[in-house]
Amino acid sequence: MAGISETAPNGKPLRRIGVGAASGHHGELLQGVFEDWNGQLHRGLVTLPLTRLVSKATFTCAATPDLTTRPGDKVKAGSAARKTLSHLGVAEGGFLHIKSNIPIGHGYGSSTADVVAAIHAVAAAHAVRLQPSRVSQLAVAAERASDALAFDGRAVLFAQREGAVLEDFGGSLPPLLLVGFKSIGGRPIDTLHLPPARYDSTEIQQFRVLRALIAYAVRYQDPNCLGRAATASALLSQRHLPKQHLERVIEIAEGSGACGVQVAHSGSLLGILFDHTGKNLRQRAESVAASVQRCGFCDVEFHQINDDGAPW
Amino acid sequence: MVALDGDYFRALETPRMAALAPNLIAAAFPLMKLMPARYILDRAVADGAFEARMRIVETTSGTFGMALALLSAARGYRLTLVSASSLVDAKYKARLDGLGAQMIITEDHAGDGDQLARLQRLDDIRRAEPNCFWPRQYDNPGNALAYARLAEQLVQTVGEIDCLVGCVGSGGSLCGTAMFLRAVFPHLIVIAVDTHRSILFGQPAGKRLLRGLGNSILPGNLRHDLIDEVHWVGGYPAFSEARRLLREHGIFQGPTSAAAALVGRWAASTRPGARIAVIMPDEGHRYAETVFDDAWLGALPGWPCSPPSEPREVTIVESGSEADWMRFIWARRSLDRIVDDEVKNEGRFR
Repeated sequence: MAGISETAPNGKPLRRIGVGAASGHHGELLQGVFEDWNGQLHRGLVTLPLTRLVSKATFTCAATPDLTTRPGDKVKAGSAARKTLSHLGVAEGGFLHIKSNIPIGHGYGSSTADVVAAIHAVAAAHAVRLQPSRVSQLAVAAERASDALAFDGRAVLFAQREGAVLEDFGGSLPPLLLVGFKSIGGRPIDTLHLPPARYDSTEIQQFRVLRALIAYAVRYQDPNCLGRAATASALLSQRHLPKQHLERVIEIAEGSGACGVQVAHSGSLLGILFDHTGKNLRQRAESVAASVQRCGFCDVEFHQINDDGAPW
Repeated sequence: MVALDGDYFRALETPRMAALAPNLIAAAFPLMKLMPARYILDRAVADGAFEARMRIVETTSGTFGMALALLSAARGYRLTLVSASSLVDAKYKARLDGLGAQMIITEDHAGDGDQLARLQRLDDIRRAEPNCFWPRQYDNPGNALAYARLAEQLVQTVGEIDCLVGCVGSGGSLCGTAMFLRAVFPHLIVIAVDTHRSILFGQPAGKRLLRGLGNSILPGNLRHDLIDEVHWVGGYPAFSEARRLLREHGIFQGPTSAAAALVGRWAASTRPGARIAVIMPDEGHRYAETVFDDAWLGALPGWPCSPPSEPREVTIVESGSEADWMRFIWARRSLDRIVDDEVKNEGRFR
């Protein structure tokens, strides 16, 4: 995800340039509060990554302490670059350029992707490869709450406000086809200005079971258990950031033999999850796409997740 | 300074998973009641309802008291347990004494567990010492909530679950586990195991041979609306199954666990495509001189008897003998609804 070029073909030193990239996501499979190894509760989430959506950062070192970011509104990415320089003990600044195809504000994790890409780019420009845990900590420092994008394809339960891994599920998510769409009139949501959800004892206990389902789904590559966990988490999220017509979406998913329904817990995205190895996949996916459109949802898209290039 | 990790009670409350059949997983607990006892006490400490200097009082005949006593010994809490003479044998009492629990035993001539007299004594203690903590396992919602840990462990082991089988005493383990599992598996079938002359599912109260399940009062933690079918298992089939579990699986669990296993095995054979989980609440040590003793068993009237291989289907709630095993389709109805329906049916038949 990161690269460096130090010398030109003629052997003369170049201005050092580092590149970094990070994917967006389609919100969360699960979000709630979870125990750490010590029994303490933390807010945590499991991200549903989308590799097609990418933020790419290029960092060019400069001799002066100034740090310039383009586009100028990528303030958090700039802050992340500054914090990374400071972590590396570098006084000099540079020029950070972000190029991203991730839509802003619907729960695709555009901000975290910019931040993570920027951290990778700055580190690469200084010939350093940071551990995912370090990248996460820097990301949280830059934007207060972050997603687990630094872990690439690895499924983890991530404490988004601390940048710490509560549980590494030991592999990646099973192959899925996601039919993603947006709420009717889905406007961008400023995630950082949402009040943190307050969970009651029953919800906190229920999250244990959802976490266990995801652990099972990753260990045995079982998309059905993953879908069950996502649907339950979406329903629990209704009390905090309700999605209109969620019940209807669940009906549509059940009617088409999908594994479950997933939502961006702090965004306007919804998705129906299919087992990528299932029969008549295209036909069923197109049928639910038509159904959700009739229900009034917009921007319906198909996303492959961990499909390894398998045809469908 | 060294700080080593290790949570003995967390480990002790964790069941061992046993595959009793290809589609049947059993959660075999050493002492299941540690799960609600620990959860209730930890929640009470967190909420400020309980402080270490307060006394804990509870009325219990068995394993919930043992769980409270273990935790109290380890944490330095003072504990008073109220029980009945028919329910506590000398060895169990000696173990509780050894843990430092104060034991109050009511004289229970009728042998029915003397629940009302025990509650009266508990009330007296609370009046004399108002600043004490009563965990109320029968009605405390924390009892059921604690079993999310069991649901978690079952799911982590087998993933999807289609049918859950468990005994009912307080209702906490079966209803708690069922509630959390059904939230992710809406199709989950819940099978309750009770015993004859327990009032939980509408039988008239009376003397029960099989202890550790059933009740003579109705606990708040029993949610009838979660239950799809009820099995009443008598002492004899449970005792045979306890011996079979030991002989054929090397699993040493008590007769309550065995009653659940018996129903679980039947459910697994009649639903071969379903994934079934059964809850087995405690080990067999307490029954070494009874259920696991040939002379004790041999002295039972009518023993040996061949255990039924399947339950007798009943359409009205009726009492059976200790050799009987009966099945009733509950269909998530309330207890009142069942009683009403039976009154109506009788009217129609006459």
